[in-house]
Amino acid sequence: MVENNVEKGPTLEERLSRLTEVVRNLEEDTIDLEVALELFEEGIQHVREAEVILNHAELRVKELIGSSENLEVRQLKDNS
Amino acid sequence: MDDVSEIWSVSQVNRAVKKLIETNLEGLWILGEIASWTRASSGHCYFTLKDDKSQIRCVMFKSDVSKLPLDPDTGMVIRVFGSLSLYEPRGEYQVVVRALMDEGGEGLWRLAAEKVRKKLEGEGLLDKDRKKQLPKSIKALGVVTSLGGAALYDILKVVERRAPWTKVIVRDTRVQGETAAHEISEAIRVLSESSMVDLVIVARGGGSMEDLWAFNEEPVARSIAASPVPVISAIGHEVDTTLSDLVADFRAPTPSAGAEMAVKDGKMVKDLLAMIFESMFLAMSTLTSTFRKELTAKREKLMNFQDAVVNPQREFLDRTADELESAMQAVMSTTRKELSSLENMMEVLSPLATLSRGYALPRNAEGKILKTVDSIPSGIRFSLRVSDGTVSCEALGKDN
Repeated sequence: MVENNVEKGPTLEERLSRLTEVVRNLEEDTIDLEVALELFEEGIQHVREAEVILNHAELRVKELIGSSENLEVRQLKDNS
Repeated sequence: MDDVSEIWSVSQVNRAVKKLIETNLEGLWILGEIASWTRASSGHCYFTLKDDKSQIRCVMFKSDVSKLPLDPDTGMVIRVFGSLSLYEPRGEYQVVVRALMDEGGEGLWRLAAEKVRKKLEGEGLLDKDRKKQLPKSIKALGVVTSLGGAALYDILKVVERRAPWTKVIVRDTRVQGETAAHEISEAIRVLSESSMVDLVIVARGGGSMEDLWAFNEEPVARSIAASPVPVISAIGHEVDTTLSDLVADFRAPTPSAGAEMAVKDGKMVKDLLAMIFESMFLAMSTLTSTFRKELTAKREKLMNFQDAVVNPQREFLDRTADELESAMQAVMSTTRKELSSLENMMEVLSPLATLSRGYALPRNAEGKILKTVDSIPSGIRFSLRVSDGTVSCEALGKDN
């Protein structure tokens, strides 16, 4: 259940880059305390979900087919 | 010798010799120097092969010529593989060449590659400052290779081991053969411009210079140079260097090494995450402690402000209020005094005061004051207002 929810959200990379941004913002001198608290909460959420992804991810391989005007992505069956 | 019963025509001789040569001599390798090379409009090439004593005419048909990376130069020492034949219209025997190699194996290929390399170098496509940085993290990895090839298998193995959360998008292409260069070039273009991937690996397993030839061709090199996302060239084994390697932003010795370059190890990501968490926590506690300090400072300031500004002002206000009140009272008492003297004055002027002194006020029935003798004829009834009331009167007559 948790994995499904996490999968629908941002990817691991997106979470990592958002987290980097959160830390950068938190380290600013001029930040408002209320804003800081919100950012912190958001950050904690990303850390938790990133951990879920890290521990449960399975490789997904897709194939890009079609021409530039009509690109499609299809799942590759078994890649091993 | 004198028997002339059998006379051959020129054509018959040539045909017979042709048959003789073609049936008795297998394909053979010949080493020699190119004396002349001509490409006819038909696409077939004609040349002469020579050594210091002798020469042979050679022909190479279009279909075989098309496998060459470029036309060899005159004077080049080459090895050809072909079969002997005879060109009947001229009665000249020739070698029908099927394959041609620069002496030294793959020299011709290297030469052709060098030619394209110089061209690209001249355009600045090999410059170091053109190279893009590897993205710090990638959402999706693009792979241009043959779907059934070992290169893809190797790449997927590495990605699965190190960073299985990475999405991999493959663009299938032939990686050798006549149409390979065009296909690879197109695959790189489509995938790199699809905005679906942050990084592209162009991959192929190892092989001979000829096998890897497509990756030395101009269209492939140009597609790599034009890619909006960084490209890792992961072709062949370590010893092979192709033009794709030179143009790409990164060169990996093998497809597996390319994948290792492309995706971070999960352990690193976990460490990174822990580091981020720590920084976040540290930043937050620094922040709250800063705020707490600020709050204390502000409270102190506020109290100082009260001592320095508010309290004196309050005192001033209180004092002013007192002064105001006494001033008001002074004004009131003056006014009250003035008022009572006015009252006295009014009393003096009032007719009632006069009456109290013994005067009376006669008035007729209409209330009009009767001031003269004529206004009180004899027999008239009138009222007389005295100090404590009114009496009715009747005039008896005027006194003399």
